[in-house]
Amino acid sequence: MRPSSRFRQCVLFLAIILSVTIGCAGKDDIAPIDVEKQAFADLREDIREVIEDPARADEAIKLVGVLQEDLAALRRSVAERRSRIAELNADYDTSRADFEAFLQRIEAEVGANRRRASESHLALLATVTAEERSALAKTRTRAMKATIRTMQAI
Amino acid sequence: MLIALFTILLLGGGGGSGILDFIADTQDTVKVVVEKDDRRKEMLGTLKAMKKRANAHGKVLRRSSRDLNRVLADDEVTEAAIDTIWYRYFAQREVYNREMLDLRFQLRDQMTREEWEQVFGEDS
Repeated sequence: MRPSSRFRQCVLFLAIILSVTIGCAGKDDIAPIDVEKQAFADLREDIREVIEDPARADEAIKLVGVLQEDLAALRRSVAERRSRIAELNADYDTSRADFEAFLQRIEAEVGANRRRASESHLALLATVTAEERSALAKTRTRAMKATIRTMQAI
Repeated sequence: MLIALFTILLLGGGGGSGILDFIADTQDTVKVVVEKDDRRKEMLGTLKAMKKRANAHGKVLRRSSRDLNRVLADDEVTEAAIDTIWYRYFAQREVYNREMLDLRFQLRDQMTREEWEQVFGEDS
């Protein structure tokens, strides 16, 4: 192999490594919260496109806003629960009663959230027709997919 | 997207992990902290049982998510249909909590205070 050819190959290899590194860094730079904001912005845009009646579109967007707030609250709650349960576990002297009281509090919170989520879902069903729901279900942007993945991991 | 997110909200999180699963992930630390003897064997046996229980709960959660996704996608969905899946899941969640706590206290009884603090303390 001629030296110039080997040099070109080395430069090409380094360029590939550099571009992959920059590409990965760029991906990591987008915070999940920003991806989530984008996903909901995409969803609102889809709602405006799919629901022609402005009053119903406004109502659907309002309900999506409630869903977004509830998901943000859930994310915070789950982080707090995990931190607290790790604290309880770390203490050798924590009683079973203390654990049970904490777990019961979590179940009560989840139960309250369930009622709220169920009501929001039924309200959305009452606002959006079956055809519109079907159209909305078909569009999934990259941000939406990423948001579902991150929310599924909490 | 909407259905997937409603499912996560209804189940109180979408993760495949229960709240006490992290205890089962300390096998490697226990191997470092505790000398290789019968006691350590017992501890690792308890952690293995916890891991098995955690995996079983993960399956329950994934199955409940799938069932809820299917029900929520139905145009004729009723609150009763959602409740049926939810109550079934939460009954299983209570059993998970109870059994994982049993195993957690079994593990605690197998370890000394010092060992516990080395495995689960702030510096672990």
